[in-house]
Amino acid sequence: MAVLLLLLATGCAHGKPDTVPDPPIVATQPDAPVPVVAKPVVAKPAGPARPPPTPAAAPAPSARIPAPSAASKVAPPVAKTPAAAVLDLNTLKAELKDTKAIGFFTKVTLKNQVDDLLDQFREFYEGNAKLTMTDLRRSYELLIMKVLSLLQDADQKLASSIVSSREAIWGLLADRTTFATLQG
Amino acid sequence: MNKLTVALAQSLVVAAFFAGPSSADDDEALKKDLTSVIALHGLPCGQVVAVKVQAENDYAASCKDGNTYRVYLSAAGRVVVETQK
Repeated sequence: MAVLLLLLATGCAHGKPDTVPDPPIVATQPDAPVPVVAKPVVAKPAGPARPPPTPAAAPAPSARIPAPSAASKVAPPVAKTPAAAVLDLNTLKAELKDTKAIGFFTKVTLKNQVDDLLDQFREFYEGNAKLTMTDLRRSYELLIMKVLSLLQDADQKLASSIVSSREAIWGLLADRTTFATLQG
Repeated sequence: MNKLTVALAQSLVVAAFFAGPSSADDDEALKKDLTSVIALHGLPCGQVVAVKVQAENDYAASCKDGNTYRVYLSAAGRVVVETQK
């Protein structure tokens, strides 16, 4: 019986390391502050219901000529082996929320920074911004780099998807009309 | 009966042995999380080496480079990092 229990315990122990650091924290933390996080996440990009389909389809060709035939021609940039799909904003948000690659506090911090960037865009379009579109682009790229550096090791698939969606998302932000729809 | 008791005791020891790593994993994940947060705020740290829970979603993080920060979730839903002495 002891042997049986030992085997059982060993089996569990093997299970742990595989899932190692992330699952526990993600599982525990969201519980408490869910309301806080849930509200802002939904609040800002509430409008993406409409935009997503457009960006997903439109920028895909320009930003990255996807997988099948292009793969052989564009052999050098093979780095993104996992055929990275262009994500729409809703999917991206959901995947970022669900990923276990980053912890709860990091997610909230990133969300804060996304909100700050959206505020800057809003000010820009309202005409009271000190920033130029070039500055906004720089801020956007920096934020994307932060996200990628957090994801690239632990969630390569999502990181690739973000790289693929980079231009599509910028396209949404940089256009006054589509940005307005994002704001709901 | 006696054998059963021994077996039970053994299993408890084994369970206790394997229960440890789980909380250690949690701890490491929290340190990693706070390290990322501090870096995202552009503050020097290197790596969080110790965390003290001050309240729910409120931590004191000690960094490898000697800096100490209070990291907490504000009522407005923002993660705030404050330098501590």
